[in-house]
Amino acid sequence: MTRSSLATGALLAIAALTLAGCSGDDSPETPDDTTAPDTSGDTVELTFWHGYTEADGDVLEQIVADFNESQEAVHIVTEINPWAVIDDTLLPSLSAGDGPDIVAMPAERLPVYAARGAFVALDDFYADAANNAADLNPGAVDMVTVDGAVYGVPAGFVPLALYYNKALFDAAGVTEAPATWDDWVDTATALTVDENGDGTPEQYGVVLPDHATVANGLWPSLFYGNGGDIVADGEAVVDSPENAETLAFWQDAIAGAAISPTGVDGIGADELFSGGKAAMTVGGPWMTFIAADNGIDLGIAAIPAGPEAQAASAIGISMAITAQDDPEVQAAAEQFFAYFFNDENSVAWSLGSGWPPLRTDIPADAIAENATVAALTPMAEFGRPLLPGVVNTTDVLTAVDELTQRAMAGEGIAMLLAEAQDKVEAALADQ
Amino acid sequence: MSTQTPGSRAAYRAPAPLGGRSSGRPPGRSLLRGEARRGTTALAFLLPALVVLAAFVLWPMISALRLSFTDAAGFGTENWVGLENYSAVFTDAGVRDAVVNTVLYAAIFTPTAVVAALVLALVVNNPRLPWRGFFRTSLFLPFVVSLAVAAFAWSYLIDPQVGLVTYWLSGVGIQLGDVLEDPTLAMPAVALVAVWKSFGFYFVIFLAGLQDIPASLYEAARVDGAGALGRFRHVTLPLLSNTFAFVGVFAMIAALQAFDQIYVMTGGGPYGHTQTIVMEIYESGFRKLELGFASALSYVLLVATLLLSILQFVFFGRREEDLS
Amino acid sequence: MSSATATPASGSRAPAVTDPPIRRPRRRMRAGTLVSILAMLAVTAFVLLPIAIIVLTAFKPTAEVNAYPPTLVPDTWTLDNMRRIVTELPFSRLVLNSFVFAGGVTAFALVFDSLAAYALARIDFRGRRALLIAIIASLMIPFQATLVPVYQLVSELGWVNTFPGLIAPRAADAFGIFFLRQFFLALPRDLDSAARIDGANEFRIFRSIVLPNVVPALLTLGIFTFVNNWNDLLWPLVFTTEQEMGTITSGLTLLTGPGGIIPYGVMMAGSLIAILPLVVAFLLVQRRFIESVATTGLKG
Repeated sequence: MTRSSLATGALLAIAALTLAGCSGDDSPETPDDTTAPDTSGDTVELTFWHGYTEADGDVLEQIVADFNESQEAVHIVTEINPWAVIDDTLLPSLSAGDGPDIVAMPAERLPVYAARGAFVALDDFYADAANNAADLNPGAVDMVTVDGAVYGVPAGFVPLALYYNKALFDAAGVTEAPATWDDWVDTATALTVDENGDGTPEQYGVVLPDHATVANGLWPSLFYGNGGDIVADGEAVVDSPENAETLAFWQDAIAGAAISPTGVDGIGADELFSGGKAAMTVGGPWMTFIAADNGIDLGIAAIPAGPEAQAASAIGISMAITAQDDPEVQAAAEQFFAYFFNDENSVAWSLGSGWPPLRTDIPADAIAENATVAALTPMAEFGRPLLPGVVNTTDVLTAVDELTQRAMAGEGIAMLLAEAQDKVEAALADQ
Repeated sequence: MSTQTPGSRAAYRAPAPLGGRSSGRPPGRSLLRGEARRGTTALAFLLPALVVLAAFVLWPMISALRLSFTDAAGFGTENWVGLENYSAVFTDAGVRDAVVNTVLYAAIFTPTAVVAALVLALVVNNPRLPWRGFFRTSLFLPFVVSLAVAAFAWSYLIDPQVGLVTYWLSGVGIQLGDVLEDPTLAMPAVALVAVWKSFGFYFVIFLAGLQDIPASLYEAARVDGAGALGRFRHVTLPLLSNTFAFVGVFAMIAALQAFDQIYVMTGGGPYGHTQTIVMEIYESGFRKLELGFASALSYVLLVATLLLSILQFVFFGRREEDLS
Repeated sequence: MSSATATPASGSRAPAVTDPPIRRPRRRMRAGTLVSILAMLAVTAFVLLPIAIIVLTAFKPTAEVNAYPPTLVPDTWTLDNMRRIVTELPFSRLVLNSFVFAGGVTAFALVFDSLAAYALARIDFRGRRALLIAIIASLMIPFQATLVPVYQLVSELGWVNTFPGLIAPRAADAFGIFFLRQFFLALPRDLDSAARIDGANEFRIFRSIVLPNVVPALLTLGIFTFVNNWNDLLWPLVFTTEQEMGTITSGLTLLTGPGGIIPYGVMMAGSLIAILPLVVAFLLVQRRFIESVATTGLKG
């Protein structure tokens, strides 16, 4: 019995493979017939990959649906996956020429794709006044600019901000969010609770991740605050006295006074904050969703000003059109971008996503109904693009992560800065 | 023909499961005559698999080999750069670190998995141990759990804030700290997750090898006055050498390709301390879009693995005929 | 107990205290066995802990998942995590896809691998050794290196987001061929020589004589292949861009929350669903499976 069933199984399998092979030969080009209304035959079908998986995703889906409704010529189909998955799958699909027509990605990921020729330059789109592109936040546009050409449009641009737990502030008698670094350390010290005195606080005043920070932006923000930077005008400037001071200041506060845990990454920081184990964190607009899920009464403030500047690195999401497309597809995608940036959708997207409007000419009262947006929008002026124009952001950010994590673990700052400088220089030379 | 089948089935049963030793090498030469005919027959049997392997393994390997001599990103333009990627592989500081890390990983994973599997197989092989079936099943169970899920479960267990293992250990005075962010502990941690997942497979293979050793050999050794250790050294180990070679080589290949749980648990961190060669290949190919470099590194890894495997087979005294 | 003493196998465990010369060794053995049992129980508990934490955390409310001190067994049991899996994922479709993908790969690989392994083990032909070494060597290149060319080919065939695209590249695999070859080698040569003298053709010998003798090995390889493909993450992620074509394992990535936070409770619930079919299938056939891994023995 076993034998005959096995043989039958084998034959079935062979038959099935033969069939699969045949059907493959018969219809090699079928993946495109989706449910799209293809009546007229001149509808341009676009695939759009993005990673907005939360409530913001629903809003974006609605905008796409409205766009599809609004006209006959273009039909967009979205495919939603987490950002990391998009990054994993984009290369193979581009290599095979069947990638998405429009793809959204974290802004610091765009330059490397653009530099390798994945995206079409959109200078024409920016030149057309009807597209409202001239009003886009210049910092956001910097993040899609590589070698002087513009390779995408922003889908989101928001400075990192200080998010705090109002209940924990009240419990400690703290009434105001800190405004300067010294305030910040004092406030955090007041909010740090180590009841059993074992040196490991049960509640931290603040959680400042020392690597893989939110949008990789925490340490750039702190460097800016003291007048430092990582890359300026295409040159590595990590190893500067300003940055040495910055690291020494926070090494004292974090490794010394234990106002924040060490060895935490950005996601870990969000988790500590959402679990009520840290009173302040530096994060993005999605903290609103996280706080709501965890019953936290959330306060929002700008990142406290450093000795030299009030500045914050921005979290950016960019959208681009893949270069494998023909001009017709490019025109269709630009048509969607123009729709995305019109008055109505600029406001709808901002309110729905909790991110400030991408256009600087949207009046404040248009977005007043969303408290997060209303709080974040005025900070946009402090927002700085992260590593604009740098192609090999991967190695630069890895070098910064190593620098900050080892510094907060108490290692010697001068040596770490020199090492980081070498690595950033190598990464810049590499491109 | 028809009379053949029943008789042959009775006479030539496969080695009974967990049973006696197989009869080993075929006694005679093949009775098939005509090399050409054998070649044709063999080809017929090999064809389906070869078609698949040629299309989806060999061709991609050739493509990757070609890419390794270019500056390709995988799309867009690509230029021939000769041996540039290979010279970069041998001079790149990141690759050097990744090689060191991978060797460290293999040095933790391979012996730990193999020794744990062997020791547990020796214990479970003892007929006096009760509940052997239960132990056998339990120890094998992690094998069906994916490395990604295993990595996730372990990350939760050793989470510095809410980890159960962290909590239990602190109860007996051991402060685990944040293992995955500790430059010295992170690598052992990700290696041990892989040990947890895969030792059960090696364990079962060793168990089979042990059960193949005839009891008479142990009796003879006992008569000669060999103690438990002596019997292990002079009977068990030599007779397990083939099993060792197999387990060793596959454990090593697995170690040299370590990726999944590292990707989930540390992403290569803290600051590069768990960045293995395959993590480096992944990052240079899929993050930095340097597919040519990634391909060159892959080929260097291939050659290194091949050499190490041959060494290992030689070391374990694998019989020459086994590969013929 | 009394009936058990009738079987010879249990004789060694019977408390035979009447025989002085072997009394001491036996007592020592029993103390040793007790130590072994305790050690084995400890090891087993450790090995099962992660699986237990997956199962139990899946039923913990979020607050308890993140609470300190942590618990092993939930104080409060909840189905919320499960509910989120079912509502946030095209759950039944993903599980179905997993079955089709892993099952399809397994069916093809068993047939193709056993055919090829048979030729490599039992037919003398020129270039056999070289072919075998080439097949083994192909295991040594990381699949991340060939992913892009494989994808290009699958795309060329128009198979992205289709089952053929997921299955065909794995319809034969080097490990399976090597594994089965070892098993075929261990079969006595005279098993088929008589049939050959009678003029049976090679395929008949393969199908009627050799294959029935390697059912345990096929079962082993089948489960091995099924488990590996079911559990594969990157493969279905890359070859299916549409959520409806993903597998349950790749679908778990969709549970990533805002800001990249992975909610432990929901993820454990998803993991539980993802591993449950494998665990159940394994427990059902575990005896035969383990014995056949063992029999495969890799004595070759």
